[in-house]
Amino acid sequence: MLEARLQTAALLKKILEAVKELITDANFDCSDNGIALQAMDNSHVALVAMLLRQEGFEPYRCDRTLALGVNLVSLSKVLRSAGNEDIVTLKADSSNDTLSLTFENPDNDRISEYELKLMDIDSEHLGIPDTTYDAVVSMSSAEFARICRDLQVLSDSVQIDVTKEGIKFAAKGELGNGAVTLKQAANVDKEDESTVIELNRNCSLNFSLKYLNNFTKATPLSSRVTLSMSSEVPLLVEYKMETGYIRYYLAPKIGDDV
Amino acid sequence: MSFEDSDNEVDQKVGSPSDATSTRPPSGTNAPLLKSYTYATPLPTDLKPDQECILGVDEAGRGPVLGPMVYGICYCPIDRQDELKTMGFADSKTLKEDERDSLLDVIVSRPDMIGWSVRVLSPMDISNSMLRQEKYNLNALAHDTTIQLIRDTLDKGVNIREVYVDTVGPPETYQKKLEGLFPKIAKITVAKKADSKYPIVSAASICAKVTRDDVLRHWIFAEEGIKDTISREFGSGYPSDPKTVQWLKKNMDPVFGYPNIVRFSWGTCKTLLDASGTAVRWPNEDEEDQRRISTLFNRTEKDASELAEQKRQYSTFIAKTPPRPVPQLMQDMGLKSVIDF
Repeated sequence: MLEARLQTAALLKKILEAVKELITDANFDCSDNGIALQAMDNSHVALVAMLLRQEGFEPYRCDRTLALGVNLVSLSKVLRSAGNEDIVTLKADSSNDTLSLTFENPDNDRISEYELKLMDIDSEHLGIPDTTYDAVVSMSSAEFARICRDLQVLSDSVQIDVTKEGIKFAAKGELGNGAVTLKQAANVDKEDESTVIELNRNCSLNFSLKYLNNFTKATPLSSRVTLSMSSEVPLLVEYKMETGYIRYYLAPKIGDDV
Repeated sequence: MSFEDSDNEVDQKVGSPSDATSTRPPSGTNAPLLKSYTYATPLPTDLKPDQECILGVDEAGRGPVLGPMVYGICYCPIDRQDELKTMGFADSKTLKEDERDSLLDVIVSRPDMIGWSVRVLSPMDISNSMLRQEKYNLNALAHDTTIQLIRDTLDKGVNIREVYVDTVGPPETYQKKLEGLFPKIAKITVAKKADSKYPIVSAASICAKVTRDDVLRHWIFAEEGIKDTISREFGSGYPSDPKTVQWLKKNMDPVFGYPNIVRFSWGTCKTLLDASGTAVRWPNEDEEDQRRISTLFNRTEKDASELAEQKRQYSTFIAKTPPRPVPQLMQDMGLKSVIDF
């Protein structure tokens, strides 16, 4: 039995926006710890791991673990009928094959109730090993989204080089080349916009811009994004939320000039 | 050998137990043509050891989009080559089908003097060669097939002194290539339209052409489900034949394309498939350099044990049911199931 009350529907809406283009169906794994989701995209190139800790809900009750198989497109459609400020209550029961959603407006004079059919999803859980990354770059999420969008004009893939001076995103394509470099801690006054690099070793890796652009759908969830990289290891793109996170893992491309 | 003798030969053949094939050349086949094969006659009965021979090579069915491509070789003693001329060999393409058939009968009626063999390349093998990753073009296929037929004949102990080859490519380089491979053959001539210049090539051309026509006319479809129902109105097989084009248009499966009579590697075929076939997206197609995350992260312990459990259940299930036979078509086409439970 799950009962979870979320203060604003906006958070859930943003989370759905952030994952629904990458994956269509996923299990929401509910436990006393909170609600988690892990799924790979269809071509098994990227993996999304989302966690909403129980502290984010008031109240939160989950007496036994539940896997709620949800079609994310349907859920996002239902969520469209909720106002951003609405309070959302999620309810599910192991004996039932539906997820019930209740939206209450802030004035508490309008209540809407929806039931979403659940589905059996054969999910493949991957074990994500603890990794000490060669480079961990924390930067503005809006800046990251802009770079990915700008470079997509030139190429399908981007080469990311991290040195102690900064992080460089470079794309080579048929119509020309382009590169954006962000210098470390250039904006000390504006903490939100600064670029902070923790470096063990320089690294240079190639990634698909299509996927990176997909990840930036999570930008509204956090003003900061962290890119963690090591060679031969999937890139970790993390958006931290107050009581949880969305992590995207992306397998590198085999670069021809690395 | 007199005219009467050769008549007797034919009579004998008609009266033989293999009556069903009596009007067909011995080089045809009664099985679906999936793998290429070679047919060869025994050595000419009058051939003396070390007697010098000439050998001609020609092909049939290079252009068509349907059916096999056939390479034929024909050989006889050098001192009897004038007899060939009197038998009436000319360019097979200028002859009518029944004239060609009767000329093959002439060849077949002289096992004392003429030896021949054909290599029948199946459409599937042609397509596979041309479409495989390291492309193997039609010329290379032609050369290798010819070389193999000559080598087989030499291996049987025939003393070949002169070789005449019909070619569609540049003759000079091909001739050099053959001279390099067969230094013991005194004279190798590669020429365009050799079948109208040299009777021995003309004879080889008859062997190839009649074999191809026969295989196509008696084509046996290997594909279950359509083999008895599919239209046989496929015409000559040439892309210029409206009947052939009509047949190709009417008999396309949007997913699987065509049965194995068709050379998938032909432009005609590709155009039609592009136009009306269903596109299949292969996930790896344009992302060859993209790694999979599932190969970089491991499946978790829990899932591994679940998988093992499923595997165990599946294997006990398997033990109770007899193994399913591999479908004939999969066997014929060399396909195997790659899903590992």
